[in-house]
Amino acid sequence: MSGKITFILNNEKVESNGKPSDRLLDVLRNEFELTGVKCGCKEGECGACSVLIDGVLANSCVVALGSIHNCHVTTIEGYSKTKRFEVLSKAYANFSAVQCGFCIPGMVLASEALLSHNPHPTEAEIREGISGNLCRCTGYNAIVHAIQKAAEEGNGLW
Amino acid sequence: MVIVENGYIPADLAEALKIRGEQTVIPYAGGTDLMVDAEDHAYLFLNKVPELKRISEDETYLKIGAAATFTEILNYPGTPEILKAAIHYLAAPAIRNMATAGGNVSNASPKADSSLIFYVSDTLLKLASAKGERILPIEDFITGRGKTALQADELLVEFLMPKKGLENYYYEKVGARKALAISRVAFAGLFNMEGERITRCAAAFGSVADVVLRFRDFEAMMIGLTLPEAKAVKSEFLAKYDQAIVPIRGRVSADYRKHVCMNLLEDFLTQNGI
Repeated sequence: MSGKITFILNNEKVESNGKPSDRLLDVLRNEFELTGVKCGCKEGECGACSVLIDGVLANSCVVALGSIHNCHVTTIEGYSKTKRFEVLSKAYANFSAVQCGFCIPGMVLASEALLSHNPHPTEAEIREGISGNLCRCTGYNAIVHAIQKAAEEGNGLW
Repeated sequence: MVIVENGYIPADLAEALKIRGEQTVIPYAGGTDLMVDAEDHAYLFLNKVPELKRISEDETYLKIGAAATFTEILNYPGTPEILKAAIHYLAAPAIRNMATAGGNVSNASPKADSSLIFYVSDTLLKLASAKGERILPIEDFITGRGKTALQADELLVEFLMPKKGLENYYYEKVGARKALAISRVAFAGLFNMEGERITRCAAAFGSVADVVLRFRDFEAMMIGLTLPEAKAVKSEFLAKYDQAIVPIRGRVSADYRKHVCMNLLEDFLTQNGI
């Protein structure tokens, strides 16, 4: 069957005009104008372009469009409509965990990916969970505290 | 099968092998290495092919589908600790969620974290084409830096990792930092005894030469010896490795890496009573 790559983007079925070899990152930013997906390194090192693919954290810069045919893709734009996001957002704000903000969309989705399979992580588990998300303002401690707080406050949500 | 421009999305292995035999395509498993260059290649997407995602085991082997991700391998209950240890230091969760053992090995980098474990454990690789299958030891699959024995119509299908004797392992990855590090030197060892006699003293070195290094003729020196006998030949054993390991120049000095290799090998022996 010939056609186009289709997928579920933030709970909506979409069809992309992109090539199968295109970076998902570029498709999300340029075709679907979801600019919460940040481009930092284009080599899977920094995590700024993190998205959830079928609920699993992925660096969209090293994902080819053709590999996500029929998958569910969640970006920060879709995730920000959830209750879990509200809890994380409040916790990040309380600890002033957001400095320049560039890493934060990816950091929040990494937080979600961690909490969704480990609702009560230890500090070490949190640090491992966000180990692929670089914050060049180096505000890691505040981010770790925010995730700890979100885990407490959001008890039952994850 | 879905075909979009030059991309092929097969539903199963038979479809994948058919395309592989008929078209010039690059097998795409996790994409985490391929997409760093992100060129407009014709890809054969294997990341959803069920036969390649499967992890199972029989009495002899742990069978890892070539497109199983490192997260899936880590979560599989039968995965031995030596492989888990390597995956634990392999990149970060988001990369492990996509990256596959098949991709890691097929890149044929001497730094590939999982290759080292497959070398030391005598893992076999199953390759398939539309015409049939063949099974190769990893040492015969990787023929040089970035080079493999994979033919243009073949796909790497499965790893057959022998299950026996993996408990007593030694693994060290020396990198610049804990997470996301590319190794400067990696070392894996397996040591087994039956009664008082050594039955396995396997040592593999990663990130040192063009391919992972393993010296079976040196290892054979130890087989059948008791620990006191092994102690008596220890310095001769170490001297052979000292002569044979010639690290290629890299970002980190060859002298340093050689020194680390020898320290790790000696520690491996010492920890096993030699």
